[in-house]
Amino acid sequence: MSTLVVASSAGNVLVWIVWIVAGFSCLAAGVAVISFSNPFYSALALIGNLASLAVMYLLLSAEFVAAAQVLVYAGAVVVMFLFVIAYVGPRHETPWSGGPSWQTVAAVAAAGALLVEIVVAIGLEAGGSLSHSGKVGAAFGSPAWIGRVFLVDHLLAFEITSIVLLVAAVGGVILGTHTRRLQGEEVVN
Amino acid sequence: MTGGAWLCLLAPLGGTIVITLLGTRISRLAAAWIATTTVFVAFGGAVWAFVDMQSRQVGSRSEITTAWTWLQSGNFKVGLELLVDPLSAVMMLIVSGVGGLIVLYSIGYMDGDEEERRYFAYISFFVFSMLLLVEGGNLLMLLIGWGLVGLSSYLLIGFWHDRPSAVQAAKKAFVMNALGDATMALAFFILIAHTNSLSFATDFNAHLSGTAANFVALGLLGGAVAKSAQIPLQTWLPDAMEGPTPVSALIHAATMVTAGVYLIARTHPLFEQARTIELLAAGTGALTLLVAGLIALVQTDIKKVIAYSTMSQIGYMFLGAGVGAYSSGMFHLLTHAFFKALLFMTAGLAIHAIAGEQDIRKLRGIGRLMPFTKWCFLAGALALVGIPPFSGFFSKDPIISSAAALGTWYGWIFWVCGVAGAFLTGLYTFRLWFLVFPGEPSPFVREHYHDHHGREGAWTMLVPVGILAVLATFAGWLQWTPHWDPFTKWLEPVAPTLAAAVPTTTQEYYTSAAAVVAGLVGIGVAWAVYSRRTIAIPAAPFWRRLFENKFYFDWLYDRIFYRPAAATATFLLRDFEDPVILQAGPDLGEATIETGGLVRRLQTGLLRTYVLFVAAGAAAVVLAFLIAK
Amino acid sequence: MLGPGVAWYVAVAAVLFGIGALGVLIRRNTLVVLLSLELMLNAGNLALIAFSRHFHNGAGQIFALAVMAIAASEVCVGLGLVVALNRRRLSLDVDRLSELRG
Repeated sequence: MSTLVVASSAGNVLVWIVWIVAGFSCLAAGVAVISFSNPFYSALALIGNLASLAVMYLLLSAEFVAAAQVLVYAGAVVVMFLFVIAYVGPRHETPWSGGPSWQTVAAVAAAGALLVEIVVAIGLEAGGSLSHSGKVGAAFGSPAWIGRVFLVDHLLAFEITSIVLLVAAVGGVILGTHTRRLQGEEVVN
Repeated sequence: MTGGAWLCLLAPLGGTIVITLLGTRISRLAAAWIATTTVFVAFGGAVWAFVDMQSRQVGSRSEITTAWTWLQSGNFKVGLELLVDPLSAVMMLIVSGVGGLIVLYSIGYMDGDEEERRYFAYISFFVFSMLLLVEGGNLLMLLIGWGLVGLSSYLLIGFWHDRPSAVQAAKKAFVMNALGDATMALAFFILIAHTNSLSFATDFNAHLSGTAANFVALGLLGGAVAKSAQIPLQTWLPDAMEGPTPVSALIHAATMVTAGVYLIARTHPLFEQARTIELLAAGTGALTLLVAGLIALVQTDIKKVIAYSTMSQIGYMFLGAGVGAYSSGMFHLLTHAFFKALLFMTAGLAIHAIAGEQDIRKLRGIGRLMPFTKWCFLAGALALVGIPPFSGFFSKDPIISSAAALGTWYGWIFWVCGVAGAFLTGLYTFRLWFLVFPGEPSPFVREHYHDHHGREGAWTMLVPVGILAVLATFAGWLQWTPHWDPFTKWLEPVAPTLAAAVPTTTQEYYTSAAAVVAGLVGIGVAWAVYSRRTIAIPAAPFWRRLFENKFYFDWLYDRIFYRPAAATATFLLRDFEDPVILQAGPDLGEATIETGGLVRRLQTGLLRTYVLFVAAGAAAVVLAFLIAK
Repeated sequence: MLGPGVAWYVAVAAVLFGIGALGVLIRRNTLVVLLSLELMLNAGNLALIAFSRHFHNGAGQIFALAVMAIAASEVCVGLGLVVALNRRRLSLDVDRLSELRG
C-alpha cells in the first residue's frame, strides 16, 4: 500500500474518507439485500447500494456512467422491481432455510471460494502493476468523451445493445399480456 | 498302389457326405445301399493296392503319398500323408472287407428303424476314420484317425439316443478313450521335443534316452489300452453293447478295438527301445485275457459274453505283440475279425428273430428253429476256441508259443495264462452254445420267434454271415507257422518278429497240443455242466460275486473318479455358479441402480442447486487457472 | 490518482460479487434472487470501471454501459416471468418450481 504513504495531502484524505464511507455502505447495503425477509426492503436496500456505487464511479472519474447508473438503475430498474413487488403482494420467507441440507454450506463455500480466488488472482497477478495509476485528463469519463468512444470505436456494441433492448421490450410485453385462461387450470402453490 | 489307397480312404467319406447332404430326400434303403456300395468300393481300392504291392519287389513296398503340407511351424512340418505298406494293406483289407460285409448285414438288421440314414452316415464315417487310422502316414494322421474312431464309436453306441443306458454307455466309452488320447498326445509331445517331427521314418530311427523312450512307450500303451479295452481301461466295452449289433460287430470286435494292436505293431521301434513297457503290454494282455474269460463265465446277456470274449482275445493279441511276435498278433487280429464278427452277426440274427431278446436264460433251443444260424455260430465258436482245422487254432497258438520262446520267468507265466485262457474260452463259449442253441425251444422262443418270409433273416443278413462262416473256417490255413508262413513274410519289411520271440518247432507243437487240449477240456466241462447237467455249477459265492461285479472295476472307478467329479460339479454349481456368476448380473444391475440413485440426488430440481453447481464450477476453473499460472 | 489504488476498488467489487452470489444461492424468493443478480452485475460494473480508470481505456466504461443495458433488459424479462407466474397463481418460491427434478 505505497499509495497510502505517498499521497497524504488533505484532498487525498477526503477522497479516502469518501471512499471508505461509500465502500462500506455499498457492502452493507448488499448484505441487507440478501438478508431482509421482506423483498420490498431488499429492493430499497438495493437503491442504497446503487447510490454508493455511483459515488465510487465518480471517484473513478466515470461521471457519465455514474449518472447513467442513477438514472437507469436506480431510477428505472429498481422502480420496476418495486412495482412488481407491490403487485405480487407481501411474501415473507426465511432467507436461510429450505433446500437440501448441504445447499447452504455449499453455497457459502462456493461464494467464499470465488471471492478468495478473485482477490488472490488480482493480488498475485496484478499486484505490482495495479499499485500506481497515472493521472487522467479532464475529458476522461465525460459524456462527450463517452459518446465519441461509443459511436466511433465501439459502434457495433452500441447497435447490438439497442437490438437487445428491443428484444427485451418485446419479450416483456409478451410475458405480461393476459393470456386466455386454459381449461382446468389449477392453483399450484 | 497309392491310387488304391486314396480310393479306399475317400470312398466311405464320400458316402457319408452324400447321405448327409441328401438327407430325407433319398429313401432309407437308398442311403443304406449308398453306404454299402462305398465301403465295397473302398474294399476294391484296398484290393487294388494290395495286388499292386504284391507285384513289386519286397524292398519297395512302402510308399508315402502326400496330399499337401498341412502344418508348418518353424522346423516342424506335418503333411496330409498316407502310408501304403504291407501292414497298412492288411488292415485296409480287413477294415473295408469285413466292414463291407457288416454294412451289408446292417441293411437287413436296421430295416424299419426310423433313423436308418443317420446310422449309415455314421457307419460310413466310422469306416473312413478307421481307414485313416491305419493308412495314416505320420503319427499325427494316426492320431486324427484315432480320435475320429472314438467319435464314431460314441455316435454309434449312443445311436438309440432315447435310451438313457445307451447314452451313458456312449459317454463312458468316449471319456475312457479320451484318457488314452491324452496319454498318446503326451507321448507325441515328447517325440516332438526330441526329434522335432512326427513322421514315422524320423521317429522310428531316433534314439531316445531311456526315460524318454519309456514315457513315449507308456503314453502309446495308454492309448492302446484305452482303445482296445484292456485292463485297467476295459470297463467301457461291455457297456458299449448298447449299440446295435452290427456296430458291436464292426467296431467293438473286428476293427476299432484292434487299433491298439495295430499301434503297437506300427510303432514297434519305439516299443523296442523301451522293452520293459513292451513286456508290460504283454503282461496287460495276459492279465486281461484271464480276467475277461472269468467274467464271461457268469454273463447272462448274449452280447456281453461275446464282448468279454473280444476283450480276452485282444488280450492274446497284446500278448503276442508285446513279446515281439507282431505278425502273430496281426494274424490273430485277422482271424479274430472273421470269427468274432461272425459270432456277433449270428447272435444278431437270433436277437433280430426273437423280438430283440438278449438274455440267454430265456433263449433256449434256438437251433431247432434257426439251423443256419446254429451252424454258423458253431463254426465261429470252434474258431474262437482254437480247435483245428478252424482258423483260431492257426492264429492263437503261435502267440502262446512265442511267450514260451522268451524263456524267461515271465514268458512261462504268459504261457500258462495263454493255455488257461484257452480252457476258459472253451468253457464260456460253449456254455453260451449249449444254453442257447441245442435242445427244445423254450416257450419264450416259441412265442416270439418270427421268421423273415420263411427264412431266418433277409438275404442281406444271411449272405455276409455265410461268407464269414467260410472265412472263419478256412482263413486260418493261410499260415501254419511251423510249416508255412506267408503272412509273417508279408509283414517282415515292416514288423519283423523279434528274435527272442521266435519259437522253435518243438515249442510250437507242444503249445498247440496244450492249447487244443485245454480248449477241448473246456468244451467238455461246458457240455457236462450245461448240456448234460451231470455236474452242477459250483456255488462258490465269493467268486461268483467277484465275476458278476466284473472284478469291481466299475465300482472302484465310480468311487474314485465319478463321485468326486460329480460332487465337485454340484458344489461349483451350488456355491459358485449360482451365487456368484448368475447373481453377478442382477448384482451389477442393482449396483448401477444404486449409483444412479446417488447421482439422482444431485438433480434436486431446485434452481438454486444448479446455480450452485455453476458457481462451484466457475470457482474450480479459476482455481485451475491460478494453479496453472 | 488520489485515494485508494485501483486494487481496493476491485477488492470491493469482489466482495460485492460474493455477496450477490450468496444471495442467488440462498434465497428462495424469485424477486430477491433477481435483486441479488443485480448486485453481481453491479460488482462486475465496478471492476470494469476501475480497470478502465487504471488502463486509460474507454472500452471499460462502454462495456459497463452495455452491461447496464443488458441488466435492464434482463430485469424486464425476469419480472415479466414473475408477473406471469403470479397471474397463474403459481408459487414464487424457487424451490417449488422444480419440474427439473430428476
